Amino acid sequence: MKFLLFLTAAALTAAPPIVIQNATVLTVTKGSFKGSVVIQDGKIKEVGEKVMIPPGAQIIDASGQYLMPGIIDAHSHIAADSINEGSVSVSSMVGIEDVLDPEAISIYRALAGGVTTVNVLHGSANAIGGKCQVIKTRWGKDREGILFEGAKPGIKFALGENPKRQGMSSGTRAGGGQQYLRYPGTRMGVEDVIRQAFNDAKIYQAEWKSFNERKGRGENPIPPKRDLKLDALVEVLEGKRLVHAHCYRADEILMLLRVADEFGFKIKTLQHVLEGYKVAKEIKEHGAGASTFSDWWAYKVEAFDAIPYNAAIMVKKGVLVSLNSDSGELMRRLNTEAGKTMKYGGLTETEALSLITINPAKQLDLDNRIGSIEPGKDADLVIYDKHPLSSFAKVQKVLIDGSVYFERDRDITDRQLREQRKKQLLEKEKQNQPQQKKNAAPGRRPA
Amino acid sequence: MKLYSFFLAASLIAGTDDTFVMKGVTVHPVTGPDVENASLLVIDGKIAEIGDAKLKTPKTTKVIEAKGLHVYPGMIDSATEIGMSEIGSVRETSDVSELGDYKPQLRAAIAVNPASEHIPVIRANGITAALAVPDGGVIAGQASLMHLDGWTWEEMAIRIDAAMHLRFPVISTGSFFSRTSYPEAKRNYENRLKSLSDYFEQARRYQKAKAAAGPGFKTDLALEAMQPVLSKKVPIMISASRERAIKEAVAWADKESVRVVLAQVRRPGSALALLKEKNIPVILGPTQELPLEEDDPYDEAFTVPVEVHKAGVKFAFGSFGNQFSRNLPYQAATAVAFGLPYEEALKSVTLYPAQIWGVDDRMGAIEKGKDADFIVTDGDPLEVKTNVKRMFIRGREVDLESKHTKLYKKYLARP
Amino acid sequence: MLKHLSGLVCLAALALSPGNAETPEVIAIRNAKIVTVSGPVIPKGAIVVRNGLIEAVGESVTPPADAWIIDGAGLTVYPGLIDSLSTLGLPDAAPMGAPSATGRRGGGPPTATPSGPPTPPARGPEDRPSNTSYLLAADQLSATDRRIEAARNAGFTSAVAFPNRNIFSGQGAVINLAGERPGNMVVQSPTGQFLTMRSAGFNAGYPGSLMGVIAYIRQIYLDAAQYKAAKEIYNAQPSGNRRPDYDKHLEGVLASPRILLPAGNPKEIERMLRFGAELKQDTILYGLHEGYRAAALIKQHNGKVLVDLRWPEKSRDADPDQIDSLRALEARDKAASTPAELKKAGVPFALYAGALSQPSDISKAVKKAIDAGLSFDDALRALTLSPAEIFGVSNRLGSIDKGKIANLVVTNGDLFQERTKIKYVLVDGIKYEPSPEQPAAPSEATR
Repeated sequence: MKFLLFLTAAALTAAPPIVIQNATVLTVTKGSFKGSVVIQDGKIKEVGEKVMIPPGAQIIDASGQYLMPGIIDAHSHIAADSINEGSVSVSSMVGIEDVLDPEAISIYRALAGGVTTVNVLHGSANAIGGKCQVIKTRWGKDREGILFEGAKPGIKFALGENPKRQGMSSGTRAGGGQQYLRYPGTRMGVEDVIRQAFNDAKIYQAEWKSFNERKGRGENPIPPKRDLKLDALVEVLEGKRLVHAHCYRADEILMLLRVADEFGFKIKTLQHVLEGYKVAKEIKEHGAGASTFSDWWAYKVEAFDAIPYNAAIMVKKGVLVSLNSDSGELMRRLNTEAGKTMKYGGLTETEALSLITINPAKQLDLDNRIGSIEPGKDADLVIYDKHPLSSFAKVQKVLIDGSVYFERDRDITDRQLREQRKKQLLEKEKQNQPQQKKNAAPGRRPA
Repeated sequence: MKLYSFFLAASLIAGTDDTFVMKGVTVHPVTGPDVENASLLVIDGKIAEIGDAKLKTPKTTKVIEAKGLHVYPGMIDSATEIGMSEIGSVRETSDVSELGDYKPQLRAAIAVNPASEHIPVIRANGITAALAVPDGGVIAGQASLMHLDGWTWEEMAIRIDAAMHLRFPVISTGSFFSRTSYPEAKRNYENRLKSLSDYFEQARRYQKAKAAAGPGFKTDLALEAMQPVLSKKVPIMISASRERAIKEAVAWADKESVRVVLAQVRRPGSALALLKEKNIPVILGPTQELPLEEDDPYDEAFTVPVEVHKAGVKFAFGSFGNQFSRNLPYQAATAVAFGLPYEEALKSVTLYPAQIWGVDDRMGAIEKGKDADFIVTDGDPLEVKTNVKRMFIRGREVDLESKHTKLYKKYLARP
Repeated sequence: MLKHLSGLVCLAALALSPGNAETPEVIAIRNAKIVTVSGPVIPKGAIVVRNGLIEAVGESVTPPADAWIIDGAGLTVYPGLIDSLSTLGLPDAAPMGAPSATGRRGGGPPTATPSGPPTPPARGPEDRPSNTSYLLAADQLSATDRRIEAARNAGFTSAVAFPNRNIFSGQGAVINLAGERPGNMVVQSPTGQFLTMRSAGFNAGYPGSLMGVIAYIRQIYLDAAQYKAAKEIYNAQPSGNRRPDYDKHLEGVLASPRILLPAGNPKEIERMLRFGAELKQDTILYGLHEGYRAAALIKQHNGKVLVDLRWPEKSRDADPDQIDSLRALEARDKAASTPAELKKAGVPFALYAGALSQPSDISKAVKKAIDAGLSFDDALRALTLSPAEIFGVSNRLGSIDKGKIANLVVTNGDLFQERTKIKYVLVDGIKYEPSPEQPAAPSEATR
């Protein structure tokens, strides 16, 4: 019965090797051709126009269909029970890893849109936000089962309107209570918060170093306090935690790059980065990646200079660019979002596909595992009925680690079973209703 | 001719006239089969002829060579905030929602800013006309069909009173934050519905009083604005999303004997048969949406147009905003991927909206005698990759530059 | 004598006054069926109660001469029921609703006492928000809480009562449900720290999200460990060391023998089991309405759980056209099978009345669990010996054994049956006769 609840709770296990045949294979990194892909033990074993079919292999015929690497969404907020710890300007003590929801339907929906890897980010209410978690959309698995094993930890930063919002007086608070302003209220303050936090982190780092040295000398000093907030920042300073920074305007983008230079760490990706096209040169020099929208604009002041050519300009200026969704809806059609860059700025097919595959893989330091169809990589693959950059393409099958996690045909069968099960339960409940009514007693209230 | 003469200035491409022949194009009339290697003759802003390569035209007629390109009717977005709002989060830039519950006298057209940055941005993707819809309260005001070109809102206006927008009351038990019990929600709903019917009754009594022209009759601007609705000259655009609300809205409209266009239809269910029976067209919201309920199929929103089409109900698309209006063709395309016949998708952004808004004598298809509102593309306009190369509104070429293309050029050139 | 005891009119009055002075010190119940729970059922035997303790129990026990005799013919004696999670005796506690394990507000109002000038929102764990870890239920008890009598009427003679208003709510106590003064009631204290996952909500200070709550609890435990170490080092060597600040919030945590964490569905169960292990504290989960899906997982973690008897039901004032999700329907259908599934998996569990107060509602709820596969014996155990074991008081409560506290329920039939009436309840050897079922809030006149 469980499969009814979870659509496809148990994905087919990948015991025998799998060969996907007769597909138009879009490898992203090694060109496109009509051919096959051999999968063994969850990994891509062989890719080519002609391949050796291992004995006992399960054959998936993909005639007339298109095979591409699983899509990677570098910026999402799905599959978590909370997103924003908005009470503080630095919330690096919190982490998405603590609140993952492996049963969130958004995972299945993303999967059905060809997304196999997702960077689940903290919200943008704070200059320094919480820790992120990379997951795979292994629908039906538990928390452990959806974690992207071995993915480098990350952290969210945010600049501009969102982190300063609570520092701007908006008159009386709803409900009539006193309004407490939270520092910062300007972009100057946002910089200050980040610099102060890293200054604190350096002092904290030194305190522990001194404590450990004294311990090493055989002394028994009182240990300093562990501070979860600063622990995460020390990891950033030590290059162990990737920074993904939400930003819009060119000025704030440049500011963050300079703060990072000052404290000696790197910004791994600039997120949204809608005015990245204005400072592409500086972004490239710092070595930051850029993860942007295809065509969002004008929803707030800092998005008024956003242009759909942003991705293309940055690509042309040598920045490592990806497209993200920031939305449980949009993430289901990142393929056509990528297609838009062919119109807005004239990117090639491969460049467009890279924006949602190999480039975000690099931005997560996971390009040794995912992002292209190459031997040795995880068998995270999507089969489309038409070219994935077309408006008319639809996902047919999705494999993760060589296991089929989504099949459109099975989805259609499952939805009927689910409907039946629902009817059955509603009927049962209806029959038990009169008895339940009698049961209804007002809840106990304390005296 | 004279009427349109200021359009010359409106277009950045100087010297274009509204008489020309475009050669070498594939014409997609939408109402009939495609014509390859066609010559499209436009005279005085109207389509005069769709001929083959050998079409004879006066020597003086300007020839536009467009070999290999495609001609489609300009697309129409059937619900937007075009020109009425600039930056979503900044209240000062929005003129969409007025105070009060009953404001039939309000007219969207007069709040359409012809200099809005959104207009060229939307135009660039092949949209030549859009319905500007006021919102807020119960009767929000008159929605106006606008051309996406013109020096003033007057020049842009196609039909100022294209529809009267009514947000039909719903039984709402509240959101995540606040909950109302069903009986209470139902009472609220019934009160609101009664006040709506009372308002129509008032408008009718006003009509009679006016006809009687008795002593003491005073003009009432709001009730005056209701008269074209009562006489069915202007359709009432009713926003109602789900089956129950749609059924109730249709029953109510029947009782009031008004002409209806249903908007934001999302979960029509068994109400579709009713819409078919009453011949009520619908304006669908974006297809690219999440399913409404957890248990819905993942493609639930993608297939709404398919369902509506199968029921034989006429439909068009509206973006119900500004930001994503340029993605109108892709809303239709997504439905194609999930089962909508391609021809229907194309009509739903061209011919059908023209029919629904009562302007199909002038626009919505490439046909002899219609306004020359069309786009020239390098492919299927429903495909994301396709570029719109040129646009003509009433035969005048319209500039496809926008804030976005200007910033693109400027910063691409940054050393 | 016997006549006096069965004089209904007179007794009803006596029963309503707890700790009635006329009750004899020695009571013997003879010719009764005795369900000991710890051993086999005695079809016909006697129990002697002296000085609040069980002096003897068995088939061949002869009542002593000084005993008040109750003829138990046709009656059954059970150990008094234990409500394993409650706020009985704590009138300031929040109503015991369904626990919120997702960080949203639920299970009553958040941190209360809005009197006095508004305090600025907490800006970090250092402000110790929502922390009354030092509160002892035993210090907060009110012997006159009217709900105590209602609970006794339902057969409860003990409860594990917890303050419940904060993230760190404070320490519970095992109490007996009768006593003239609070001090009479306490059986064991402290018995564990009650934790909620209740965040302050948006814009109301730290922690404002579920992940904030988790990070906060984690930081408090780190602080407590450092506090303990610092105190030890300081006490050994005050000279030359800076003295650590006293912190009652950490004292309360350090004094907690175990913690109680909320968990309803498998995601929360997994999360909280892992969290308890991380905090290195003996952990009890409470709530568990979807425990039927996670019995094996709980077993694997050697978890102990308290199951809320108020099974989920369809909301009464919902829109009739609104169909609940399959997930919610399944949960409503299967919640009551949780105890049976836990039993099958070998998980120690107890039941608690939660928001139920009417004896008939509690019986029906237990009956529902029995109908869903739990044996009568296991249901009884989950309300007697199991909670005593889980809270470490099985050497004094939970079964009918010589030497244990004389908490007994005497019925005219099997417990949890609709027709069965509770004839007497003994708490600490003092006999009470339940008054007829009353509306939830008894009026002054009935006192």
